[in-house]
Order: sequence, then structure tokens, then C-alpha cells
Amino acid sequence: MSDQTARGALRPGWSAIVDDYAIAGDWALNGALLVVGDAAGSVFGFEGTSGTIRWQKRALHSSGLLAMAMHPDGDRFATAGQDGQVHICGADDGAVRHTIDLGRGWVEHLAWSSDGNQLAAAMSRRVYVSDASGTLLWQSDDHPSTVSALAWSGAEQLATACYGRVSFFEATSGELAQKLEWKGSLVSLILSPDGDIVACGSQDNSVHFWRRSTGEDSMMHGYPGKPSNLSFDQSGSLLATGGGKTVTVWNFAGSGPEGTRPGELEMHVQPITALSFAHQGRRIASGGRDGGVVAWSLQSGGNGVAIGAAFVGELIGGLAWRPDDRCLAAFDASGGVTVWRIHRQ
Amino acid sequence: MTPPAKVPVTILTGFLGSGKTTLLNRILSEEHGKRIAVIENEYGEVGIDQALVINADEEIFEMSNGCICCTVRGDLIRVLGNLMKRRDKFDYVLVETTGLADPGPVAQTFFMDDEIRAEFALDGIVTLVDAGHIEQQLGRSDESTEQIAFADVLVLNKTDLADHDRLDQLEARLRDMNRMARVVRSEKANIPIETVLNLSAFDLDSMLERRPSFLEPEYPFEWTGTYTLQPGRYALRLAEGPDPEMSLVAVANQGSSDTELREGAEWCVRRYAEEAEALLPDADLPIDKHINLQLQASGHKSFFLQVDAPMQLGLFAQHTAEEFDIQLLNTADDAVVPVQAERTWVAQHEHDDEVGSFAIERDGDVDSDKINAWLGKLLRESGVDIFRMKGFISLAGEANRFVFQGVHMLFDGQPERPWGDEVRRSQLVFIGRNLDEASIRQGFDECLV
Repeated sequence: MSDQTARGALRPGWSAIVDDYAIAGDWALNGALLVVGDAAGSVFGFEGTSGTIRWQKRALHSSGLLAMAMHPDGDRFATAGQDGQVHICGADDGAVRHTIDLGRGWVEHLAWSSDGNQLAAAMSRRVYVSDASGTLLWQSDDHPSTVSALAWSGAEQLATACYGRVSFFEATSGELAQKLEWKGSLVSLILSPDGDIVACGSQDNSVHFWRRSTGEDSMMHGYPGKPSNLSFDQSGSLLATGGGKTVTVWNFAGSGPEGTRPGELEMHVQPITALSFAHQGRRIASGGRDGGVVAWSLQSGGNGVAIGAAFVGELIGGLAWRPDDRCLAAFDASGGVTVWRIHRQ
Repeated sequence: MTPPAKVPVTILTGFLGSGKTTLLNRILSEEHGKRIAVIENEYGEVGIDQALVINADEEIFEMSNGCICCTVRGDLIRVLGNLMKRRDKFDYVLVETTGLADPGPVAQTFFMDDEIRAEFALDGIVTLVDAGHIEQQLGRSDESTEQIAFADVLVLNKTDLADHDRLDQLEARLRDMNRMARVVRSEKANIPIETVLNLSAFDLDSMLERRPSFLEPEYPFEWTGTYTLQPGRYALRLAEGPDPEMSLVAVANQGSSDTELREGAEWCVRRYAEEAEALLPDADLPIDKHINLQLQASGHKSFFLQVDAPMQLGLFAQHTAEEFDIQLLNTADDAVVPVQAERTWVAQHEHDDEVGSFAIERDGDVDSDKINAWLGKLLRESGVDIFRMKGFISLAGEANRFVFQGVHMLFDGQPERPWGDEVRRSQLVFIGRNLDEASIRQGFDECLV
């Protein structure tokens, strides 16, 4: 299935297959392990260098997995599924350490606070926050619609997106701290590393963003599709967005991005389905419905060049850079897990 | 890479009590070997063995631009998006709406959302109608009207609650509102599963097989007869009939082939648009004029026609010959002149409801630039009132039929099978509120090559 004839910076590493659509994955144990969850509810731990299976947990979520989030320390991860449960598992053996049962419903989103002390889970119209051992600390009231995305502002506040609104909750009390309202169905959410910029992709094929420090908001129109994928670089100056075949990169340094032309990265032949900036520098990886993965090197303004590309054949569901950025993993719709070594020119 | 086949989706609408849950139960309990996912909004008691039933709270998401055509069902996007990730994908998805739902946003979801559109295809909309209560509902709510207008299949259910004549009237009213839909009757939603699944709403051909007349235009006259006349004096004799008067156009040189009759009909529509001249019995019948025969007197009435040279007479009458026992007699010997050819037309009638439908059918090709521009403009300007449209178009220079369907201003089309030896033509059906049929027809005709 996977085509290992990668070009440029993407050099063949290893590949593997999980049981179903590979929904989510991330590196654990400082890059020694790659954890991948599939739609059938199974989770696999692959040795980071060889791809050998270290452990596998079949049917961790009986009716299917919906989300996975790696703890910032990389030693444990959380999973959530259609069974209304959240598991916190150890990365070394995949064993479930704690389980949170939220009742009947789909738990669709998970996010750890930056200090790793809190885990947020979204089910239907509510968000539930627990500590690292799965003890529920607080839960929100009903949002106006199903919560569509989660993001932490450091360890202090939790942001949620839903139809018409981004809400900020105090991490410890769960008190509603701020509401950013805008009439539209917000399908994705990301905060800049300093927490000031809030960006959301909207169902009406636009990206809306706010600056919390000034209260200003703007909207970027003209996407051919809905921008479901967003990624900030670690400096917070570049925001890459999907929403079509082109990766559109907005530059927040200086007075932009209002009134500026974004960087446009064109190579995919079908819409973008995954985007991930590397941990350092201005490299970004994009994946598409076309089954292609492209690594790009960007200039400070947001334009850039492809430094490597590979074709794995199926819709790319997720991308993850190893903590040292020396490897890139892609997870695809047919259950393929593909890892490339990043060749430094 | 070949694109994977899209999963077909049927939308099931109908007022509370119309029998949706009963139908759903029937579908799910029948042995059909399909893996069906049901997304329902009303917490009904559905017993499931082979299907997955998901309850989703209806979340209607309007867009910031305020356009109702862009409104989608957010819950469907989420649920379907997650469903499609499983390898054991479903053969079919059924979406049940709440009784009061406007079907627009549900249908639009399958056009508006690029990710959903890539994986799913709207196969059809089935609306259940409670024969005992629909008339009250139609008077009271826009939703019930729209549910009927959006339908590909109308299930006239609970037929035991109305007598035969009433059902006929009801069916006629429903057909008026939506000519595109197939109407099926049932007592306890006991209809075969093929009636609601795999409708291929794109497919106008199958609809034509079921109802060959559904694309026919309506005319202000119901009957045409042609006669071959030698010089002489003739009497058009009418018995007592259902109406005290009747409109008529007598045409000289009317051919008898089907094509000639159609051409004559088109020509006569324009005569009929002119004001009718009242004509009393025993008067002479003018040729090529819209006249109104005055038939109030009892017994037979005659109107006369002087023929000086051999001619082919065509009569385009508001009622059928049978209704008035219309006969043409040679006054020389009182012999009945035989009808050479006759046919009936789909009669125009009063449309009580604001919501209606009509079809356009034209032979030949259309210019793709022109039709794009025209459709774009039409949908921009009237998209709010056009609930649904579908059909196929013969684009000049294209080897394949172009099939399309639309919901409000959303349009989805694709090339289909090649024309081959078939006569190239276009068929379009529109359903909507207060549509300007004449101007839409004219607009389309201007796109013809």
C-alpha cells in the first residue's frame, strides 16, 4: 500500500498497519515510541526506530475511538470513544491507569493542559476537566451546541469552540472567563503559543480570529472548503490553515495578517486533511485527501518551498513530528502508519 | 486512484404521527442484507439487529452571511464524519428528521459540506403524509408544505383514515405541489423497502417509466381532433355537457402526426392567451381565433363552417369530445365526418397552493456557457424559492448526458452515461414557491443552440 519512494527530505523509515482508519497518533517516551489509535477502538505502541509493535490494546473503546491526546511529558496518553469513556494509559505498556466514565454519548475531543496536570474532554455540549489521575474536577454547563474543539491557554484557561462561540474557562474553578461570539459554526480551534491569538475555522469556509489582548477580531474569507486543520509555529507568528488544496499561511508578525497576502503552498491535488508545524523552526508537514504528504520549509513571511513529498495512497488523518523533529509520522484512512526520517540538507 | 463509491443517504421526513417510526422499524426488520446506519432525532423505540442507530440532537447551523440555503445540520456533519472512519462502512444511511423539520438544511448538508459531499450522496427524500390530517397541517404550517415539496417519494399513509375520493383529491393536490415525486399509498407504512432506498433521485428516466406524462406541459385545452374536409358546409354539433360554455380554436391545415399536433398545440396556446370571442349557436365558426362557444341552451347546439377548398381542420377544445359528444357533420347529407387523429392533453387547472412544480423538456443541445450563466443567475435570484430541481441536460459538444440536482441555490451535477444513438434532449423539473414558470421556460429556451 505505502509507496516508499519518498523524495527530498522525506527518507523512508518504517511503516506498519493498524486495524482500521488511523485516527490519531503521537510520539511518546521522547520519541522512543509511536502511539497510534484506530477507528475500531484499538491502540498500538510501535517502537520509534523500527516500527516493531511493543504493545497493542484491542477494543480499548468498544464502539470506536474518537480522540487521543499525548501527555506533555510523553509518558502517558488519554483516549476517548463512542462509549462515553476516557482512559488514561501508560505509554510504556499501554495499560489503562485510570478511566473516566462520562455517561452516554460520544467523547470527541481531548486536550491536556500545558503542565499536564489537567485533562479536558468534550462530550456533546459539555466539557469535563479532570486531574491527571482521572478525578473529575469540574464540568461546564451546556454549550449552545456540541463542542467542536478544545485548546488550552497554557495551564490557566481552557478554550472551547462550538456554534457561534469560543468560551474560556478558568482551569481550576471552571468559571466562564470570556466569551468570544461570532455567528458561525466553528469547526476547529487553535491558540497561539502565548495564548493571545484565537483562530477558528468555520463551516462557511472562512477562518475567524481574535486577539484577546485588544479584543479585535478579523475574518479571512475565500477558502474553497472549511478549514478543519490549523497549525501555529512555535513562535506564534505563522498560522497555517487548510480549507482546500492549498496550505494558506498567515503571518502575524508586524501588522498582519489583516491586509496582507498569505503564503500559499501548492502541491496537493485534493483538500488538506492534516497540518503540523515542527517543534522548532519553520518547517511544516501537510497531508491531503489525495494521500500525499509534503514537508515544506517556510520563509518568515509564510511562503515556502516543498523540501520533500511522499505518497501513501490514502487520506492522511494525522501527522506527528518526533520531539527532535528528526522523524515525521503519518496516519492514514486505510490504517497505514508511515514514518520518514527527515534528511537535513 | 478511483474515487470510492459514495454512500447513499435517504432522508425520512413527515409530521409527528405520520408513521416514520413504523416505517423505520419495517426497514430495519426486513431481510435486505444491507448495513444501514440510522440517524434519528426523535427517540423512538426502534428494535435493531443489523443496523446502528445513533441519536443526534438536531443542530441547525446558520452561516454568518444569513443565507438560508447555506444552513446545514451540524450534528449530521459530525456524526457522518465519524461514521465514515470505520472500515466496516455502511451500505446505506437513513436520516430521520423531527416532525417539524424544514428539510432544507438536512438536504443542503450533502451539498454544502465538502467533506460530507466527498463521502455521501443524497439518494432521495421520502416524506410520509398522514392521509387523515395532512390537509389541516398544510393549512397551518410551512414545514409540512416544504416536506412535500422536497420529496422524491410521498408516502400517503394511513389511507384507512380517508375514503377513496378524498384520497384521490389529496393525491392530486400533492402531485400539484410536487410533480417530481412518486406517490405511494399505504395503510401502516407497509411499503416495500425498495420504495425508499436506492431511489437514485438523479434518475429521471426511471421516473418517466413510472409516469410517462409527468414532463408533459399543461395546456388550456384538453382535446384535439383533426378532420380532412372537402369543400362544403359543415356543422359542429355539441350535446349538453358539463360546462355552459367552452373555449375552442379551429385551425386550418392542422397535420395529424404527433409532432404536428404538438406544434399545433404550442401555436394554439398563444391563441388561447388572446381574449375569447363569445359565439352563439348557429353562428359561423371563425378559423384561427380563440372563441367561446355559448352552450347555455338545452339540447344540441350547432356551429357552422364554410369550406371552399380541401383542408385539414384541427379543433383544439377546452373539453374532450366525449364530454359534449362533439361531432362534425356534413350539412349536405348529415354524414358524420370521421376524426382523422385525436389526442388529449394534460389540462391546466387552478393551483391552490403557493408551492408548485413544473417541468421543461426540449429536444436538442444547450450551450454550456449560456446555461451556466442562466442557471447561476436563476439560482442567485430565485434560489430561496426553488426548493428542489433535477434533471439532465444535453450540452453541445459533450458526448455524455449531464445530470444534476439542486436544493435551493446549491447545485450538484456530473456527466453520466454517453448519449449514443439516443435523441439528445434536456429535461428539467423545478419545485418551489411562486415560481415564475414562463420566465424560467423562456430563460432555458434562450440557452438552446
